[in-house]
Amino acid sequence: MRKYAVIYRSVCMENLQYAANIVMGFASYFVFIFIFIMLWNYIYQMPGEVIAGYTKEQMIWYVMMTEMIWFASNSASVAGSVTTDIRGGNIAYLMNKPYHYTLYILTKYTGEWSIRLPMYALLAAAAGIGMVGAVPGFPISRLPLMILCVILGITVNAVFLICIGLLSFWIEDATPFRWLYDKLILVVGTIFPIEIFPEALQPFFKLTPIYTVCYGPAKLIVDFSDSKCVEILLAQVLYLAAGCGLMFYTYRKGVRKLYVNGG
Amino acid sequence: MSMEADRTRADLMFAAVKNQLRVSLLSVKYNMMREMVNKVTFVTNIIFMMLNNATILVQWIILFHLREEVGGYTLKEIMLLWGMTAASYGLSHILFARVFFLPELVISGKLDAYLVQPKSVLLGIMTSATDISAIGDFLYGLLVIGIFGHQGRGLYLFPLFLITGTVIFTAFALLMGSLSFWFVRMDMLGRQMMLGMVSFATYPDGIFKGVSRFLLYFIIPVGMAVYHPVHLMIRFDKGMLFTVLGYALLLGTVSVAVFYRGLRRYASSSLMEARM
Repeated sequence: MRKYAVIYRSVCMENLQYAANIVMGFASYFVFIFIFIMLWNYIYQMPGEVIAGYTKEQMIWYVMMTEMIWFASNSASVAGSVTTDIRGGNIAYLMNKPYHYTLYILTKYTGEWSIRLPMYALLAAAAGIGMVGAVPGFPISRLPLMILCVILGITVNAVFLICIGLLSFWIEDATPFRWLYDKLILVVGTIFPIEIFPEALQPFFKLTPIYTVCYGPAKLIVDFSDSKCVEILLAQVLYLAAGCGLMFYTYRKGVRKLYVNGG
Repeated sequence: MSMEADRTRADLMFAAVKNQLRVSLLSVKYNMMREMVNKVTFVTNIIFMMLNNATILVQWIILFHLREEVGGYTLKEIMLLWGMTAASYGLSHILFARVFFLPELVISGKLDAYLVQPKSVLLGIMTSATDISAIGDFLYGLLVIGIFGHQGRGLYLFPLFLITGTVIFTAFALLMGSLSFWFVRMDMLGRQMMLGMVSFATYPDGIFKGVSRFLLYFIIPVGMAVYHPVHLMIRFDKGMLFTVLGYALLLGTVSVAVFYRGLRRYASSSLMEARM
């Protein structure tokens, strides 16, 4: 465990050096948030209107929270580094090191978002309060549970992205699969809450990673309930266990296919 | 005698332009051939990019389920926005992909290889890479316009606006990238501006009001690249057509001038590299 702690610490230190770059990335977050505030302002035509159980303020906060998770987690970096390692042959050096390659990537990635997430969270909270006011009825005492839920969501997402990246053992470039996965998470869980979809589809979405990655954490922030919190945390733990199993299995199968062309 | 000299000069110029075009097209052709070495990856990239673009349709189906129109647009018109954006963005990334990475070349002093070539430096840089997934964007754009473009003069005007859109996307990237000759962190800002341009382009301009609307037409030129062309495809207006054409020409000229002005400040990193 100590070696992973060392990797985590060194990645955190490295990312702190690039804090200015992270701040520059806030512009994209603002563009997305601005578009969605304009969009929801247009869709909610009457004051106090409720759509799929969400007021306009809740809907805007929901999008702000999911986009915060999306931008802070920078999912392209985790799947991208696995694909690059496999395509470029760097995997041959990394797999012989005294750590498990997939856990090394996961630790490295955790170090990255550990710096980005607090910065984006502060920005999102300030922007949200400034533009639409505080979340109605926000239970501050439950904040640690919400943070835990966000962290588990990002980790579940990372594990699935590593699995997608590992497909590069078979198809060389797994990036197109990541595009589709990312777009599904974006369209189904990030832009809209699950309740906005037809009722027949909602149980299906609850069985997908979308429920645990972005919907769950954002739902708890805008409309917290103890029962919902237990349900989401349980789903996240189950998904994390299944995802890790799949990740180790895919890696074990993949490295058997690896061959190195000198260098 | 003078007329003959003029004709000879014109012939030489024409031959030079033809020659440059041939070299640029060959460059794009070889970029493609390089990427096609792995056919499975090549095809997967294109098909998945088309699917990736198509998934966003779900978002609009949901929104139009809530309201009959969004920002004055129906689903058909939104699809025209998507078609126009995807096709222009795609074509600019197929033909001139390297321009979107210009800051990286400038900051790390990697322009030397292009400076010693006997042809146009700018076209040499711009056509030295092709983004394969952009073929998926381009084909998706054509498909969408083919299905939803049968309103007004849509289909007739599309080829013209595909060219102006490609020019505006490329010129804006060139302008942003050229600022790297003066400022170090322009790579980040340029990337954010391009991302902003694409993000805004796929939402109706009717939802933006006041200052933001002004910004979208004059600072981030998404209005001229996408919104006006879509309006024109639905309802033709001669004045608006000349505005788009004039803007594309002006932005193209300014960006090329800024690039060559900046190139005078370029400092090599003395990096030895070969271009295959």
